Amino acid sequence: MFILDSLLIGSLRFVLDKVIAAAETEAQDDSALREQLLEAQMRLELGEISEEEFAAIERDVLIAIREIKGRQQGPISMSPDDKITGVDIQSYDESEK
Amino acid sequence: MHAVAEAAGGLRVLIVSTDPAHSLGDAFDTTLTATPGRLRASLDAVELDAPRAFTRWLADHRRPLGEILEHGTWLDREDVDALLDLSVPGVDELMGILEIDRLARGERKARKARQEKYDLIVVDTAPTGHTLRLLSAPETVAAVAEVLGDLQQEHRLIREQLARVGRPEAADRLIAVLADQARETAARLRDTDQTAFVWVTLPEELSLAEAGDGIAALERAGITVREVVVNRVLPDGGPCPICDRRRSDEAKVIAAIRRRFGRGRTVRIVPAAIKEPRGLTALASLARRRAEGLGLRAKDTKKPDRLRTQRVEIGQQPLAFSPKPFAEASLLFFGGKGGVGKTTVAAAVALWLARADRQRRVLLLSTDPAHSLADVFRAEIGDTARSIPGGPPNLAVRELDAAHALATRRAQFESALDEIAAAIGVEGGGGAIGTSELMRLAPPGIDELFGVLGVVDARGEYDVIVVDTAPTGHALRLLEMPEAAREWMQVLLRVLLKYRSLVRPGQLAAELVELSRSIRELIALLRDAKTTRFIAVTRAAELPRRETARLLTRLRRLHLAVSAIVANALTLAPRRCARCRAVRAAERRELTSLRKVCGGRCAIIQTPLAAPPPRGVAALNRWSKAWLAEP
Repeated sequence: MFILDSLLIGSLRFVLDKVIAAAETEAQDDSALREQLLEAQMRLELGEISEEEFAAIERDVLIAIREIKGRQQGPISMSPDDKITGVDIQSYDESEK
Repeated sequence: MHAVAEAAGGLRVLIVSTDPAHSLGDAFDTTLTATPGRLRASLDAVELDAPRAFTRWLADHRRPLGEILEHGTWLDREDVDALLDLSVPGVDELMGILEIDRLARGERKARKARQEKYDLIVVDTAPTGHTLRLLSAPETVAAVAEVLGDLQQEHRLIREQLARVGRPEAADRLIAVLADQARETAARLRDTDQTAFVWVTLPEELSLAEAGDGIAALERAGITVREVVVNRVLPDGGPCPICDRRRSDEAKVIAAIRRRFGRGRTVRIVPAAIKEPRGLTALASLARRRAEGLGLRAKDTKKPDRLRTQRVEIGQQPLAFSPKPFAEASLLFFGGKGGVGKTTVAAAVALWLARADRQRRVLLLSTDPAHSLADVFRAEIGDTARSIPGGPPNLAVRELDAAHALATRRAQFESALDEIAAAIGVEGGGGAIGTSELMRLAPPGIDELFGVLGVVDARGEYDVIVVDTAPTGHALRLLEMPEAAREWMQVLLRVLLKYRSLVRPGQLAAELVELSRSIRELIALLRDAKTTRFIAVTRAAELPRRETARLLTRLRRLHLAVSAIVANALTLAPRRCARCRAVRAAERRELTSLRKVCGGRCAIIQTPLAAPPPRGVAALNRWSKAWLAEP
């Protein structure tokens, strides 16, 4: 029974790992989302979906892409060794243009 | 005339028209169909209907073709059917060459009935550019056979090695037949014992330049031109400033034709008749005169008279024509029968549009593979848009060179073909198609495809695009192309979506979506009478008028607005010359008929004959002042 259990748990764990990896990849990588958008564009050209349906898909995909981008940039973190030595400021005067 | 002469000489002759805009029936003053009809003893005539012939050919070969596609790809029956139902660009040339081959061999039924085939087949081809495409069609057929052979290869190996079946199946036989037909037709075209090419031209500088390019292209392809016919040469007559100037100009052109093309070739002169010869009797009489060598020697040996070289413009009274049909449009097409002066009129209007508003960016685009823009402007013009020396800076001119465009975008097309091949599961990627002859050829239909792409590309850059189209049949093909291209893109998109789990849609899918959208916009634009206008250019003579009437019917079916018919090169102010007066009277009658063709739905614009024809920016501007109100 023990062997069977460990086998079962082992394979379950394997599958779960894969699922988590796939989810992480999806969370980090927007290529799947881009493909989803391209697919929606193809369907729109073929008349399989309406402009409204496309707009809804496009909105969802863009939100998801933005989320990924946000996560990739992540919060600014500092290690205790980091020191702020100065601030670089660039000013831009509209009238000089 | 040639066919009538040979038939009278005792040969069994078939005359075939391969121009999608047929006028053979008009010439014989009868109605011709796609099956050979008897005109008189030993003379039959036929006007090919290429799309119908293709449907029939496809019906005969659908099963083996479908099998090749199913064996060589992972497409299923549904995909294959969708592909086979698509209209094929260049079908006129591809079917034209296969039909000529079929007729030359004699139809199977006829052979069974122990009837002999014809002794001679006279082919009346489409104007220059597309004749060159027709003559290169055997190479395209050979390339198609090669691609089909590659697709069939794996299946053939499996049958031979695993099933040990050596007997060729229907698909193998079809590939072999296509390859044979292509080889034999290509050889027959180049066999001087079997084929003679007669070049028919007009005694005009523009036609001379076109003849030069055309004959050179034929000779490069190994096809010999035996005879040059100069048609509609002004015959001798009483003194007249107009006719004299024209005779002198024509004599110069004829002398140049003899000098450039006369060596080893017969040069024949056919005089201009006030009423075009129509019907068997008129043609037979012309043929008899040719045989007897009578009356056809318009004095072409006469030296140009120095006293008569002043420029004559006929009917210089301003017609103050309101340019409504041109103004405000963003897409203007000029089309009509070969040799009526489309390019000259299109060039004059493009110059006028650019002068009228210096802020307006105008592109004049020629989509006729036999370009004349460079000759009309007397300037160097190529495949990239450029301005004309001495012309307005807001006018750009481009002579579309489809073969060149294909070559420069070859890498792009190859990667697209690779993606298609991968998406449909062709072994070894796009190798079968990409590296085949197809990419090295300029296959028939390519001029229309790139013409449409040229318009799509230019739309963002220019406010007005003036398109100087190829003669009638192929202008219609160009206008049908957006719909056909969209159907192709839809089938491809559907296939890419269907197999997306096997092959992820990539660059190609994104480009197809983009292109499909642009073409959808173009189709909407074409149907919008506010933005798109078609101007039919014609001469006030019966044959061009009949062709114009058919053109208008076809354009209306395509939902295209025809805003004007230009009756070009009219003898508006005949002086005392009897010939000019007779011509004017005939033109007046034709103008009345043209108004009926228009049915009050378009303007009739009359342009005066100019001798010499207007060439170069200054001359074109001067000429258009006589019929277009100044901006």
